[in-house]
Amino acid sequence: MTFISIEFLLFFAVIVFTYYLIPHRWRWILLLAASYGFYATLSSYFILLLLASTAFTYFTGIIIEKQETKKQKKKVMLVGICALLFFLGWFKYFNFANDSVRAILTYMDWNYALPYQEIVLPLAISFYTFQAVSYLVDISKGKQKAERHYGYFSIYFAFFPQLVAGPIERAKKLLPQFKVEQTLKYENLSYGMKRIAWGFFKKTLIADRLAPIVASVYDSPDPTGSQIVLATILFSIQLYADFSALSDIAIGCARMLGIKLTENFKQPHFAVSIADFWSRWHITLSTWLRDYIFVPLCKGKKKRSEIYLVIMITFLISGIWHGAAWSFILWGLIHGFYRVFGDHTKHFRGKMATFIQLDKSPTLHKWVKISITFLLVCFSRVFFRSDSVTDAFENAQLFLTLNSWRPSGIMEAFELFSLLDLVVFIFFFTVVQLFQYIERKNTSTWNWLSQRSAFARFAVYILIIVSVLVFGVSGQGFVYGGF
Amino acid sequence: MMKNIEKYRSAFIDALELEEDEAWGDLALGETREWDSLGHMILISTIEDVFDVSLDSEWITEFNSYQSGMELLNRLGVDFVNE
Repeated sequence: MTFISIEFLLFFAVIVFTYYLIPHRWRWILLLAASYGFYATLSSYFILLLLASTAFTYFTGIIIEKQETKKQKKKVMLVGICALLFFLGWFKYFNFANDSVRAILTYMDWNYALPYQEIVLPLAISFYTFQAVSYLVDISKGKQKAERHYGYFSIYFAFFPQLVAGPIERAKKLLPQFKVEQTLKYENLSYGMKRIAWGFFKKTLIADRLAPIVASVYDSPDPTGSQIVLATILFSIQLYADFSALSDIAIGCARMLGIKLTENFKQPHFAVSIADFWSRWHITLSTWLRDYIFVPLCKGKKKRSEIYLVIMITFLISGIWHGAAWSFILWGLIHGFYRVFGDHTKHFRGKMATFIQLDKSPTLHKWVKISITFLLVCFSRVFFRSDSVTDAFENAQLFLTLNSWRPSGIMEAFELFSLLDLVVFIFFFTVVQLFQYIERKNTSTWNWLSQRSAFARFAVYILIIVSVLVFGVSGQGFVYGGF
Repeated sequence: MMKNIEKYRSAFIDALELEEDEAWGDLALGETREWDSLGHMILISTIEDVFDVSLDSEWITEFNSYQSGMELLNRLGVDFVNE
């Protein structure tokens, strides 16, 4: 049962109906049963791992809190985190490490006996492990009390709207919301349904329509440079539509239950720098990395060069977190390099902008920065999308070849689309851009829409629903659902 | 012995490589070339060393101006008035 299915909508409708029907004191049981039920439909085998990780984190949290000194708390916290990371490492990185060692030793002509293990990645392990780590760290620092109610704690671990792909939440924000009695509110139901519908719109009309076109290029043995350029730009659009749709549905579902999740996207493709991009893309992961990796590693660093090293380490971890492959590691390092290079050349770039008088036209200057940032992000995504490091370097070379950017070549590459697909994509892409444009001018498009006439509002709602039903296509789950 | 306010000013000068005679009262994160996001981390490290305090992520975000930094340190027991 994936988010994009009739089964899920029916399942969720039953949960919402029952949730408001039963007394508050029983709701945690419903949410927990729904969460485990949902997880079991996706990955029944690994529910035991989810249960074990939950119990382990629950008891470790209490033990940390019971320690008397800061030093003891830290010690128990580190043991707890190591155990959680061992699980993550075993399931997610064992074969990657094994293959890497094997490749190095084969290259050196040494025998290597460790056999290959058939390990399947448990769904959502990266997400719930990060939530568990933040919980233990916050307890050891006294920022979070160890939760004693096992039921509420288990929901924090497995809350089904955000279990599979985030947003990555903090216990401090989520736990109190589960405990407060949520009353049935029209605004929550209405807003939640709109966010879910908007998620379906982006996923079925943009992401899943682009997915086969992008795949046809990236799976091709000999794509042209212009095809790689176009497919990479389309992949960036696909990835955003895919992942932000997932967050929309998660946020919408939670809101219908009265729970407010953290926003995970803020129009990242309109970022004016790489630093700005990471404050708009997968925000909950970025803030997690900032708070639990970057800031602690920055302690005691008093030179920019030292901070640069910390940035590279943080992005390296981000890359490894995204996937157990060297292409993801390179993708992370590329972003680290962008960030360091961007900081190091900031003054020079400012002077250049003044020299060519670009800063005299702030709007143009901003759009130049947006375009450059978008292209840099696209380049990094060649590594994110390619199946291997060899493919990634070949594709990156094609992406960087000037000839690949010939307008005539790009126009030819558009033949990847059928005429109908192209028209449908352009129409719905324009609708999304219009939505985002309104959002940039107002704080919320939904609020803006609520101030329009009933006719205009319902015309938009009907457009969204009918478009999904008529033109929507559904692919193989979500890109970020696999992490 | 240096007063806390002097130590505080000195931390700014060292971390952000500021001139002695710069205006201090309205200095804010992100508004000067020196006090950018990375300069901020250097400033935090310097402040932590000087006052022997530990600032976590929430406080680091809260510390966004010369004045707010003093208020934050005041809450952590650094007295700028009655020393």
